[in-house]
Amino acid sequence: MSSQRATARGFPALFNIPGTRALALVLTAAVVAYLAWKIGQSPPQALQFAFNGIAVGAVYALLAMGFTLVYSTVWFFDLYYGAAAALGAYGVFYLRTATALGSRADVNNVYVNAVFAAVVGGVAAWVLYTLLQPRLRGRFAPNTIAVAIGLLGGAAGAYTGVVLAFPEILHLTLSPAVGVMVAVAAIVVPFWTVQTFVPTIRLSRFAAIAGLPAVAVGAWCGYLTAGAPGAGLYLSWAVSCLLAGCVGLALYRGLYMYMRERARSPLIMLVASLGILLAVAAFIVIVFEAAPRPLPTAFGSETWKIAGARIKGFNVFGIGVALAGFAILWLLLKQTSFGRAVRAIGDDEEVSKVVGINTTVIIAAVFFIGAMYAALAGILTGHDTAVQPRMGLLLLLKGWIASVVGGIGNLYGAIVGGFVLGVVEQFGIWDLAGEWKDAIAFILLILFLSFWPQGLLPRR
Amino acid sequence: MPFDTQRIGELAGLMRNPAELGGYARRNIELWASLFIIGWAIAFMFWQGAGFAVIIGTVFAIWAILSVSLNLVVGFTGLLSVGHIGFFGIGAYTMAILTSDPAYEQLRTEAIPTFGWPFFAVLPICAVLAGLAAILVGVVFNRFRDDIFVLASFGFAIIAFNVFLNLRPVTRGAFGIHEIARPQVGGWYFDGELEFLLLCLVFLAVVMLISWLIVSSSFGRVLTAIREDEQAIEVFGYRATQYKLAVWVISAMMAGIAGGLFASWTTFIDPNSFILLESVLLVSIVILGGLATIWGSLLGAMAFVLLEEGMRFIPFLPTEYIGQARQVVLGILLVLLMLFRPQGLVGRYRL
Repeated sequence: MSSQRATARGFPALFNIPGTRALALVLTAAVVAYLAWKIGQSPPQALQFAFNGIAVGAVYALLAMGFTLVYSTVWFFDLYYGAAAALGAYGVFYLRTATALGSRADVNNVYVNAVFAAVVGGVAAWVLYTLLQPRLRGRFAPNTIAVAIGLLGGAAGAYTGVVLAFPEILHLTLSPAVGVMVAVAAIVVPFWTVQTFVPTIRLSRFAAIAGLPAVAVGAWCGYLTAGAPGAGLYLSWAVSCLLAGCVGLALYRGLYMYMRERARSPLIMLVASLGILLAVAAFIVIVFEAAPRPLPTAFGSETWKIAGARIKGFNVFGIGVALAGFAILWLLLKQTSFGRAVRAIGDDEEVSKVVGINTTVIIAAVFFIGAMYAALAGILTGHDTAVQPRMGLLLLLKGWIASVVGGIGNLYGAIVGGFVLGVVEQFGIWDLAGEWKDAIAFILLILFLSFWPQGLLPRR
Repeated sequence: MPFDTQRIGELAGLMRNPAELGGYARRNIELWASLFIIGWAIAFMFWQGAGFAVIIGTVFAIWAILSVSLNLVVGFTGLLSVGHIGFFGIGAYTMAILTSDPAYEQLRTEAIPTFGWPFFAVLPICAVLAGLAAILVGVVFNRFRDDIFVLASFGFAIIAFNVFLNLRPVTRGAFGIHEIARPQVGGWYFDGELEFLLLCLVFLAVVMLISWLIVSSSFGRVLTAIREDEQAIEVFGYRATQYKLAVWVISAMMAGIAGGLFASWTTFIDPNSFILLESVLLVSIVILGGLATIWGSLLGAMAFVLLEEGMRFIPFLPTEYIGQARQVVLGILLVLLMLFRPQGLVGRYRL
């Protein structure tokens, strides 16, 4: 285990042929000087490229944050991450196309619904079992607990199946779920806030006071959702993010966990996840055909003009999502015990197990969150351009590059690396055709791996 | 190789004591996998007739050259490269451009440079150019290890694809290059499928022979030692980076030859033959067949080619989805292999 982490984290030695480092610095300086000269020549165009770069960089930053979170916890490259991006984007396509295009493009498929219902049911049953079983163990017979939790998981699966089977009325089918979630949040978030001031307060006592208003707020939100058919698109974002996250969790619990126990090198998991990526990409082609498809239009398709440069409203939204994603992850990782556990597992999994961290649960949650970030990035890309079955692999690689550029395993590095990669790509194609931008991204990667393998902001 | 004297002795013992069959089957997955795939191939030949089998055989031979060459890097040296298709593409484009016919190219709107050289003069150049590219790439990649090497090799595949797609004056981009010449010796064209199959098989045999010579020599033993522990072999005074670079270049040259054969066989290439996905499929062939065995690479390539034909037996599967269905099966096979048999069907090295 320790040697495995050493190879993964102990990055390749510096590229130490004498003089190459200096040469690389000189060349980089020359490229930067040339770009500065070009920017001086036509500032509006430069501003346009910068906008485009930051807009693309937001997606890369989202990808890099999830990727670096997963990688710095388990220290192997999970290529399912790319499939999650594609699944997220195609989830929106699957749920919304019939509504947006009418009966012309009805892709709803009962087998697909059944598969995802089964996955969600299994994941829900596992989560409930791991969370509740230790508390109920003394009070009920083991069989009673198992049957009850199995029924609950089955109910969750059936609910998912119903939601997926009737995508036109997403706002109706999901309104109870929205209500319940808002109610729970309306109890738990104020509870945490109060707890910081009054540490002795118990959740049960707090719920007795705040429960009724919270339920009222939840019911009101559910009612609002049920009356707003336009919310379907945004609900479908949430549904496909959750589905991609559930698949990621199921893969960890059902597959990677067993592999990591006996794997000699991280490459085993890498190859297995490569197999999953292949299978999922082909599965998407079978269900949706290979041609690129547009997602139904979201808001923000109008462009704003700022100082001669155009920017789409949706891209501004994407940048906002990336920053919000960063804020959430920052809170989660730096301010909670969950974050401390994640970092402890990344530092040494065996020791964290010894000190009483439930590593299985924490890593499963990390996979869930990581896949949700990938799916969100996939959805943003899909709305910005189009969805196609092969998008997953390229998005995965971009997230991977961004996290290497920023410094792998560092949350700040991930967001910085994402924006840097986006901007470099856009400025790189100033003098070249737009099709070269993938090559530019990988040249940037190879430069970083060769000369600055620690990235811009190394993990401490 | 699965057929050695010890096994034959075991088989003879089995005839005397048939009750051992269950245990024997469990102990000899390699033999059964080999027999199954070969039997499948023979059955396929009888089922589809010789004409189609010849075409499938050529596809097999080209994939087999690629997978044998990649196995030198992945199986014997332990560098999981996903960028091999780049060298294949370099070979194919070299063949396409250097054999291009001036009389034909002048009719096209975007003419590429024409040379009109003969096939057998170009084939060594395919290998040399792929090798030169491999030296450049290898010098940069030499320091990377494990998953960082995988990422960098993904990068090479994507950069190579971008060059094929966007270097329009030389490759004519997405339009591809048509009418690539078939090989010719004197007045005799290799225009029949059977001749071309034999040619490919000859090159496959040469590549296998070279691989066998490499892995059975002291050079190959150093490679195996690098795979097991790079620092340990450096302590003994071997320069691991030079050995890795050497095997990387040799493997790339073999892939270049495969590319030249491929371009000449299909007579039309475009960048879509060299996408990253093909490279991923190639890696999965090598892992499926078995790491660190030449025989395994042949089996893997054969299984891969036959899998597509086997898909035709599945009812309710429209023919346009056969390639995708094969990809799903291959992906699931990879997962199962990594769970239960990390060395592949007949492999000698566990990943």
